[in-house]
Amino acid sequence: MRRLPARLPVFLGVLLLLLWSLGPIYWSLVSSLMRPADLVADPPHYLPPVWTFEHYGKLLGATSSYFGTEIQSVWPQFKRALINSIVTSGAATIVTVLLAALGGYAFARLRFPGRDLTFALITATLAIPAYTVMIPLYRIMVAAGLIDTYLGVTLIYASAFLPLALWLMRSFYAVLPASLEEAAALDGAGRLYTLFRIVMPLAAPGLIAAALLTFLSAWGQFVVPLVFSPTLGTKPLTVLIPEFVGKNYVDYGLMNAAGMLSIIPPVLLVLLLNRYLIRGLTAGATK
Amino acid sequence: MPAAARTVGRPARGLGGSDARLGWLLVAPLAIVMLALVFVPLGMTLIDSLYRVDPMRAAQPFIGLRHYVDLAADTNVRTSALNTLALVAICVVLETVGGIAAALLLQRIEKGRMWLLAALIVPWALPPVVNALVWLWIYHPSVGLLNNLLLSAGLISHKVVWFNDRATALFLVAVVHVWRMLPLTAIIVLAALQAIPTDLYEAARLDGAGPVRSFLTITLPLIAGGLGIAMTQSTVFAFNLFDEAWILAGASLDTRTVLIQVYMSAFQQLHFSYGMALSVLLMLASLAVSIFYVLGVYRETRID
Repeated sequence: MRRLPARLPVFLGVLLLLLWSLGPIYWSLVSSLMRPADLVADPPHYLPPVWTFEHYGKLLGATSSYFGTEIQSVWPQFKRALINSIVTSGAATIVTVLLAALGGYAFARLRFPGRDLTFALITATLAIPAYTVMIPLYRIMVAAGLIDTYLGVTLIYASAFLPLALWLMRSFYAVLPASLEEAAALDGAGRLYTLFRIVMPLAAPGLIAAALLTFLSAWGQFVVPLVFSPTLGTKPLTVLIPEFVGKNYVDYGLMNAAGMLSIIPPVLLVLLLNRYLIRGLTAGATK
Repeated sequence: MPAAARTVGRPARGLGGSDARLGWLLVAPLAIVMLALVFVPLGMTLIDSLYRVDPMRAAQPFIGLRHYVDLAADTNVRTSALNTLALVAICVVLETVGGIAAALLLQRIEKGRMWLLAALIVPWALPPVVNALVWLWIYHPSVGLLNNLLLSAGLISHKVVWFNDRATALFLVAVVHVWRMLPLTAIIVLAALQAIPTDLYEAARLDGAGPVRSFLTITLPLIAGGLGIAMTQSTVFAFNLFDEAWILAGASLDTRTVLIQVYMSAFQQLHFSYGMALSVLLMLASLAVSIFYVLGVYRETRID
């Protein structure tokens, strides 16, 4: 950055990086704001010649039209799927982070028989995908009557995302200075009191990172709900939106609009909590 | 870890002390969830893959390794295995090269790096299904952005139906996956880069080493650990690619991955145990390539 000629390649590189990362999202966003006729223009419009919210209206409004014809609104379905996404991702995040926060502390600070083996076994499942166990899990869930229930989906998400959250929490606890816990112990504070009132607040960045990673993974899950959420009872946005891509007729405006609405939570989280996310992603890699 | 942590972490108490009870109390909820929903099903997968378990057929006879023999002869399985291997190769190469390039670039940015990182990481944070839909629209044969950009650049003379050709289709599926996973490699490599002391580069420059040489002799060896983890993650994720291929081309054999084959065997043709046998093979492959990662985790556990 000191020499002027050195700046040009960096500038071009940044431009290229931004185009690669955000270009497709920009294209989807402007497509969602174009009239159906402008969507199929050749050459394409890189900005909508006429801005329209008709695709969003179809998703969010009571009635809507397509090429002037009155058609049924998809709002009732979209609303259910949106609620399902929020409930399952939220519940999975709470359960996962809570269990990982408790267990991670035990693995980091307490000595008990079987500790190292249990930890090694659980984190080893990071290397095997959740999909490996999906078929027997399906039979277990059928037997337990948990297909298409919030409880069933939440438990599956928790089991899939726990290893990473646990790994993260343990590494965050491990770098905290133990002197505070010692001081608390000398003052006569119990271990649980110390954990909740002293250790957990200090490990807050770890809790936020684990919550972020879990929420984003759950929000984006597709295969698990494809199998375990057959109806709108628990079907999330990720399963509903591809259904808009019909066999012989694809409403690309609607598809892009639905996609853009579904990425609002992840994009907001990245913008607001980027720092924690990056710490979480690199926690296992740089130690 | 500092010595003080060790004295608290490992107080000189016998087994079954209050530490042990509290330890298991805190670990129990998570251990139960993992046992019931991961380890028991994992055992069931291994055992049931030796039986014929079809919900459409009554008996569940023991058939030994029959499924595995059948899998080896199944042309669909072979094709999907080849597709998956091709996807793994393309994804790992592009993510590693692109990730290192992005990390080297980001390292030179001082102002606004956090914002650039946020922009970089967005594709990683989005649902893979939505990513695939965004690219489905870009790949559209008649009005898609890709055809129009290549036409106006003069790189193609007429519009191309991209998914008519198997190699092209596989590459385009891989691009969508790389778009999502490259940020992860970049961020891990960037973290490793920032841990390199700058005086090493000063010393190399005084010794007359150019940028290429100092990259090969200083940067690359010192980021090797982080790069190893990033590449293992790239490999495992590419091995288990499902969403992008399913959204872009459905059940098409041209881009069908092993995981899609598992899904179709089990949940469309309802051959449960046949699908289980295939997922056992996928798991073994996945485990084999991530052995370095697992070893890393294990070593970490042992040190403290």
